[in-house]
Amino acid sequence: MKISRPESLDDALSLIADGGVAVAGGSGFQLDFSQGVPAPEHYVRIGHLIPTGIEGCTIGAGTPLEDIRHAGIPLLSEACATVGAPNVRRLATLGGNLAWGKGCLIPALIALDAQVETTAGRVPVLDYLAAPSGIVLSVCIRPLAHAFWRKVGLRQAFTASIISSAGTLLVLEDQIANVRLAVGGGATPPQRLSGVENWLMGQSIWDVDPDDLKARIESEITAPDCAFRTSNYRKRVAAAALTAGMLGHVEKAPTSAITRPAATPAPDLTELSRADGGNRWHTRPDMPAKIRGALEYLTDKRGDDMLVGRILRAGRAHAKILSIDTSKAEALEGVKAVVTHRDIDGLNGFGIVFQDQPALCSDKVRYTGDPVAAVAAVDGETAEKALSLIKVDYEDLPVVDSVEGALAEGAVQVHESGNLVTEVIHDKGDLADGWAKAVHIVEDTYVTPRQMHGFMETEGGWAAPEGDGLLMCAGGQHGARDRLQLSRILDLPEDQLRIVTSPTGGAFGGKDELTVQPALALLARKSGSPVRLHLSRAESVQAGTKRNPMWLKMKTGCDAEGRIVAQEVDVLADSGAYASLSPGVLETAMEHVVGPYQVANFHARGRLAYTNNGAGGAFRGFGANQMTFAIECQIDRLAELTGLDPIEIRRRNLRTPGSPGVLGQRVAPSERLVEMLDASGASPLWTPFEVGPDEIAGVGMALNYQGNGLGTIPEDQADFALALKDGKIVALCGLDEIGQGMIASLHAAVSAKLGCGRDDVVAVFGDTKAAPDSGSTTASRGGYVVWRGVEETAPALEAAILERASARLGRPVEELKIVPGGIGDALANTGAPILSFAELGDIDPIQEHYAFPKTEYTKGNARFIFAFGATLARVAVNRVTGFVRIVDLEMHTAAGPVIDMASYLGQMEGGLVQGVGFTLTEDMPMRDGNPLAKNFDTYMMPTVRDVPKAMRVTAHEGLDDGDPFGPRGAGELGIGAATPAIANAVADALGKWPVVTPFPQETILDLMEGAQ
Amino acid sequence: MIRFSLNGTPAEIAPDAMLLTHLREALGATDTKVGCEIGRCGACTILHNGAPMNACLLMGWQVEGAEITTIAGIASVPAGEVLVRAMEIENGFQCGYCAPGVMMSLVGLLSRDAAPSDDMIEEALEGNICRCTGYHSILRGAKLARDMLKETTE
Repeated sequence: MKISRPESLDDALSLIADGGVAVAGGSGFQLDFSQGVPAPEHYVRIGHLIPTGIEGCTIGAGTPLEDIRHAGIPLLSEACATVGAPNVRRLATLGGNLAWGKGCLIPALIALDAQVETTAGRVPVLDYLAAPSGIVLSVCIRPLAHAFWRKVGLRQAFTASIISSAGTLLVLEDQIANVRLAVGGGATPPQRLSGVENWLMGQSIWDVDPDDLKARIESEITAPDCAFRTSNYRKRVAAAALTAGMLGHVEKAPTSAITRPAATPAPDLTELSRADGGNRWHTRPDMPAKIRGALEYLTDKRGDDMLVGRILRAGRAHAKILSIDTSKAEALEGVKAVVTHRDIDGLNGFGIVFQDQPALCSDKVRYTGDPVAAVAAVDGETAEKALSLIKVDYEDLPVVDSVEGALAEGAVQVHESGNLVTEVIHDKGDLADGWAKAVHIVEDTYVTPRQMHGFMETEGGWAAPEGDGLLMCAGGQHGARDRLQLSRILDLPEDQLRIVTSPTGGAFGGKDELTVQPALALLARKSGSPVRLHLSRAESVQAGTKRNPMWLKMKTGCDAEGRIVAQEVDVLADSGAYASLSPGVLETAMEHVVGPYQVANFHARGRLAYTNNGAGGAFRGFGANQMTFAIECQIDRLAELTGLDPIEIRRRNLRTPGSPGVLGQRVAPSERLVEMLDASGASPLWTPFEVGPDEIAGVGMALNYQGNGLGTIPEDQADFALALKDGKIVALCGLDEIGQGMIASLHAAVSAKLGCGRDDVVAVFGDTKAAPDSGSTTASRGGYVVWRGVEETAPALEAAILERASARLGRPVEELKIVPGGIGDALANTGAPILSFAELGDIDPIQEHYAFPKTEYTKGNARFIFAFGATLARVAVNRVTGFVRIVDLEMHTAAGPVIDMASYLGQMEGGLVQGVGFTLTEDMPMRDGNPLAKNFDTYMMPTVRDVPKAMRVTAHEGLDDGDPFGPRGAGELGIGAATPAIANAVADALGKWPVVTPFPQETILDLMEGAQ
Repeated sequence: MIRFSLNGTPAEIAPDAMLLTHLREALGATDTKVGCEIGRCGACTILHNGAPMNACLLMGWQVEGAEITTIAGIASVPAGEVLVRAMEIENGFQCGYCAPGVMMSLVGLLSRDAAPSDDMIEEALEGNICRCTGYHSILRGAKLARDMLKETTE
């Protein structure tokens, strides 16, 4: 790429005339390239040639938007606050936003009647936009007394524009003396609404009928459909925004669809916060290095002899592979290895449940992210070039783009085994009898999204030959299982593979299955060199696993007293191209099919189908949160019909502690549903609260319970060891640190049990050579594995330590105890050590093996241990845009004793906000098997502006007397009930329930209109 | 080649190279993280003459003569050590991969204005995606840093 820095505007203009592209801040180019715009061959820098700064109403075109945002300019400063984010606005310029033609600010400039000074002369902004000519030098604006602005995007902040609307208004003696109205931004072409303006001019502002005005604006706007929002929505919100901007908001009396519960006394709750935690609050051991950027992730490894790997993806949803020719790629200088399916010695298949996913595709591809070949080269650029030289001939096959289509008769088969992956059916009681008793019945189909994990560190790592074997270092959630799967693919004995899976920059289930490891292993072995490979975000979006979308059709009936008497459920789930853990996800959904309630009569069927829609698999919540959404909305709808409050109807239906689980299985003690209901009843969130003039307030709650562990059928065991080495108590645990606080939990559990300090502990983890196999870091099982491992091993280590100390000190064991730093005198008042751990010498690891607690039930996969929670949400539903703003979230949890407070709180808050994303903004729509969101510009995870202003999390920590099972899992509880709590709060505000997640804003507006 | 300063040390970059790629791939400076490469996640936030910007949106020609500060250089920035300490106390992060970018956005803010409002703190973080925490722990850390800075200046 050529970059010129011309000396004058004339020089710049001639370079531009020759095909150069003007660039000032350059903030928009990377986004353009990611959307397929080719990179220009020649950049012509103009930033140093154009005026910068603000003088009165004239703004230099080179002025950064962040400067304008803080300059107090009517309308424009407010508008700038909604463009990009501050870090982007420091680069972006006013001239760039205008010259780009799609800039969010354009409607504001139109409403400000901006005059654009260019090298070709001075023209009104609309004329400039109609025929851009010359380089923009400055913009002169002409504000009116009153201005209004509303940008509507895909989330609350840092979003592309769906439509922006701007207006300025001058009213003299009640008469509209001047008015300018404009829309534009993103895909919406810039428009000034002259027809409406002419109609308004001269009218008395008091005589303007809001509905008439809205209708006129709506009919004058031209706006397109796009992949994410309809034309109709664009027009509707812009019309509502401009009308409200001119005339203010029509008063609306607050509504409350949900009966407020009577206050209940709160159970024993621990407030989780540093302020309330006192000496239970500790800095996590992994925190200092993370904060300083000093932690080396597995994708950060660099080495002089390290090659760089890249993977060739199918780029088509369903096709036969006719041939793969890698000869040109292999001949490229700098390429050290090219691998295809022909390089696989073992099984060309992996998958935690069924091995149906090829390491590298041989005969067909089943989704756009399917890997076909991989390259290792001296650098990334060479590897990418080599990918482009690999020739693959395909014969496209019809795309299976829906679950219904996949299961229809005569459907094209994604796999030879057929498109139905699994079917799960649960029955109980006599359904006909149940329906006969039903007085109130609610039925709906709840739809849940293809949510993306969106871990900030994408899939990747490095691998290197080690003797005859291989060292594989890639973010993951179960090194020993990765080892098993790689051993099959490489046809290598497992003892020749060492797998390092920590630290991992976020996983949430998305790194449970193999990701880049097969390609990385093949490249390292073929090249004989270390190779690193780190997916770009775009590749991760395309290839990574996603949450299985579900369609949950649910019909629930209750008697006149609100007792559920019958329920029928039919679930469809999209597995995508492969099974991975999707069968487990469906099983888990089905296991939560009646929620934590006793329902005497139900029939439930779930089907999981292969499609060409990406690849589905594990994601925090694992089906339970989807089912909880449906059941918890159903019960609130029944509450409305029976006139009960949400707590009372739940109380009437709660399962009896100790009764069999949904499948009839025995379950663990310490059920805490009553406590969760009591905590909800005691919540201050039920009281009235302030919302904006354009918002409607609502409050809702939902209950959840989450099965812990893998269930009865999969093997679910752990090894764990404690040792003393170099003066530290070493906890050897094969789990992974993926952000959840596993290290902190180890330090906490060991120090609590032994009496040593947290600092006396060192954790060894996430490495199959260094730590024993503790099973997977999934399914909310880590907390139990850590706690039980310490329970099993600590007594023997303590005995060994005290025995040795006794010999060293010549004092009986009974007079000694472990204290922070070493061995203390049990008889002394001081806690200071009389012998340090270092002085004791080393003690070999004491290792124990144990099983995750299970029930005996094996007719289906059933959980034994559950954790419990309740979430309350306050929402403000926007009457103009249909956006739901989360005002407050409160979560009560009962997962046994909290091992580490900061980690536990983090799991709950993070889970809640992932639930907010699931509910409000996150989806991966597909068209013909192609994902429509390609990166974080349109895949909308919550920003800091999308999360509630306040979050409160508590823990009810007690267990039943004699309960031997210790802490329950905390990883998935947080996300479990966020969606139905928010949905119920929206229903409180609107009187109707949204059933499709993420809630389409257009649907919210429809519900609102229907309610009025 | 374009000359710039990286955490106080002279460095060079081609005019058409992306700063982020150059840091991580050519210089091996992996303290700055890569998240989306289109300016939409903030993982690569660095200070450009003290102002937080996305390293994936900066090309070599844009850093000519500039002082680029990454998380590795945070101690050299006013408010840097206080922010680090506050974030440790509050356990601001979980997986930590967004931390280098979040910290640079915040230190950029606190170095310009030691007493920003809650709203300004939130605005400064609009461009930084954190997938683990739900942001509240980060906000608590930032607010604690503000309080600690207030104490040191009083």
